[in-house]
Amino acid sequence: MARPMGPVRLRRTNPVTVIIGIVLCTFIIYFLSNSGSATRPTASKSRNANSKPVPKSNLAHIRRDVQRFNLNHVTITKDPIANHEAVLILTPMARFYQDYWDNLMKLSYPHELITLGFIIPKNKEGNAATTALQAQIAKTQKSATNKFRRVIIERQDFDPPLASQDESERHKLENQKARRSAMSKARNSLLFTTLGPDTSWVLWLDGDIVETPPTLIQDLASHDKPIIVPNCYQRYKDDSGKPAERAYDFNSWQDSETAQELAAKMGPDDLLLEGYEALPTYRTLMAYMELDEKDDPRAEVPLDGVGGTALLVRADVHRDGAMFPPFPFYHLIETEGFAKMAKRLGWQATGLPNYKVYHYNE
Amino acid sequence: MANPALGASRFQPRASTPATRRRRKLLVRVAIAIAVAALFACFVWPGTGSFISIFSLGLLSSDSDGLLDTVRYYDLSNVQGTARGWEREERILLCVPLRDAEPHLQMMFSHLRNLTYPHHLIDLAFLVSDSKDRTLDVLIERLEDQQADDDPKQPYGEISIIEKDFGQKVNQDVESRHGFAAQASRRKLMAQARNWLLSATLRPYHSWVYWRDVDVETAPFTILEDLMRHNKDIIVPNVWRPLPDWLGGEQPYDLNSWQESETALTLADTLDEDAVIVEGYAEYATWRPHLAYLRDPYGDPDMEMEIDGVGGVSILAKAKVFRSGCHFPAFSFEKHAETEGFGKMAKRMGYSVVGLPHYVIWHLYEPSVDDIKHMEEMEKERVAKEAEEKEKAEKEKKIKEQFGDTNSQWEKDKTEIQNLAKEESKKEAGGDAGKSDSQNTKDSNGAKDEAQKVES
Repeated sequence: MARPMGPVRLRRTNPVTVIIGIVLCTFIIYFLSNSGSATRPTASKSRNANSKPVPKSNLAHIRRDVQRFNLNHVTITKDPIANHEAVLILTPMARFYQDYWDNLMKLSYPHELITLGFIIPKNKEGNAATTALQAQIAKTQKSATNKFRRVIIERQDFDPPLASQDESERHKLENQKARRSAMSKARNSLLFTTLGPDTSWVLWLDGDIVETPPTLIQDLASHDKPIIVPNCYQRYKDDSGKPAERAYDFNSWQDSETAQELAAKMGPDDLLLEGYEALPTYRTLMAYMELDEKDDPRAEVPLDGVGGTALLVRADVHRDGAMFPPFPFYHLIETEGFAKMAKRLGWQATGLPNYKVYHYNE
Repeated sequence: MANPALGASRFQPRASTPATRRRRKLLVRVAIAIAVAALFACFVWPGTGSFISIFSLGLLSSDSDGLLDTVRYYDLSNVQGTARGWEREERILLCVPLRDAEPHLQMMFSHLRNLTYPHHLIDLAFLVSDSKDRTLDVLIERLEDQQADDDPKQPYGEISIIEKDFGQKVNQDVESRHGFAAQASRRKLMAQARNWLLSATLRPYHSWVYWRDVDVETAPFTILEDLMRHNKDIIVPNVWRPLPDWLGGEQPYDLNSWQESETALTLADTLDEDAVIVEGYAEYATWRPHLAYLRDPYGDPDMEMEIDGVGGVSILAKAKVFRSGCHFPAFSFEKHAETEGFGKMAKRMGYSVVGLPHYVIWHLYEPSVDDIKHMEEMEKERVAKEAEEKEKAEKEKKIKEQFGDTNSQWEKDKTEIQNLAKEESKKEAGGDAGKSDSQNTKDSNGAKDEAQKVES
């Protein structure tokens, strides 16, 4: 039938279509909000966290005030709690261990004075660690009590060196330079971007340290040393199934003449590493130190190389430029090189052989 | 009407609403009720803030405030630094170490106003250390003016002023600053100051770090873009300074940008562990090619040159260089400290370090003690000369006065003679006599001057 000219009149909407539409809308909204909060909480966190600091053009004309920081007034003392000294806890993290986080939460130092900094490599394992870490952070920071002052999560901007899972000793020694160089860069990146103008102490705590005394920060700070390192042990079950412990970190040592002689013969890019049969250094390791005062946790020894599993450093030392050399520095690298560089700047490292922290046992 | 029967039924009033319409109405009511209930539930149930954020486009964030304030997530691979940073909104940290710099602040702020890199992408960081003048007050005043500027393009990003006194024993005046003996400890202290400034202000969102001295007099407004375009890890321009004419008009200023030489490496091996090689002093002859001396005023400003030591007047570096640990050694690193050591360390870590020999910025000329002495002498000489000239002029006047009578006598005689000559209808004879007469007076004056000079 011929239709007269005029606007096309739409067919009446079928009520079924309306219902389907409403149902669909409900579902879409439901899933949108769900993916934002319940199923993938981390995504929302990172999105939220990202939204503020990233510079966007719409922030262009926000006028910012002039901030003044008088670093002459930042105290670094034996009694950090009484003086409200800010502590920065830095953790290069490859895997997330719940025990690490639980231990961190137990630290008795006032959390409102603690800033946490994490750096995590950008690989599959790192993504998993980030997700787990963010879940824990969200839980802590949303609660009203025991909140940390600030939490900064960074992702590495360089690829981790090819992780050879081959346990062959020889292979490891060769890989050691690349591995520890990458580790140094990660530590430095984290340190120099998080060290604030009001930080007094920097505590390096590896992601696989699962047990420390809750008073770790106060105890270490009370020695009033520029660089202080506890002894790092590992708990395990011996053959008979009894719990036992063994030394773990061999990077804290006193130099030996043999090591000096070895170093003198080396090329400028060679490393003198600890704990390898190919390089007998005869250094005095803190892990095996036999002291007269066997039970005194406050016993101190001077050190020439330090390990980084747990390490308390005055912020001054880092500010002066002491960093973790990613290249052979006096044939030393990473934390050992750090001790040497600090020494060149006039800061001496100290070890506490009887004060123990414990490493995760795989 | 073709079909009256159909027409009749069409215009019949409806007895009741048709069943379909009733059903539809009901459905709409039910839908509205559900929607209202859902919306209500959103506000009532805890933990469903995301519903609201979806509807309000995230403008009303409710429960994540605690996280927003205290938790930050950064991916450092987003802040690598590229050749066209201004297009990708890359943030620069501009670091300026200051000490007793009050007189230079005005000049520095005129430079800051003129920088063409988007100001809101630049964070300023100042270190005020051991200053005895009003550096800090003037700095704050000027910064507040800058931030309150009417032009929305003027205000900078974050501004931090770090105060820290290192107990500097070394004097800042030009002579003691550049004396050889003071160099090593002075450079180490400067390095320390730079490290303190950087470590307190570098943040994970910075892509670049620009170091600039306060006493730069002339520099292109586009310097940040110009240096960035090269996309190098560390890059420095050539630094010269203008000089007064009597010193040659211009001079290379920053001798800390150089290429390593065999001689210097051999020299370094012979030195003590804590020794610091400083350039530009006769004590250490290194024979290094300096960036400064390679300048050609008509050369291509984009020409690059690989260097090993860098000068600190104006350094643009990618933030990743500093993040990875490269800093200004406050100890003797491979026999160098501060910016030169920085260049050495960067090279050691495999970064590219480049200088632009034909791209020049100009450092302020501050006369050295010797220069001042020399200038004082010149000034004295000038005054003496002026006095002498004045004396001379006076003498001449006196002589003129003394001999004025004779002169007029001569003139009288001359005219009489001339008259006589005219009378004898001869013109030239009188003129000649006059000329030789004036010659005589001049000669006698000259003789007198010479005599005076001999006396003095």
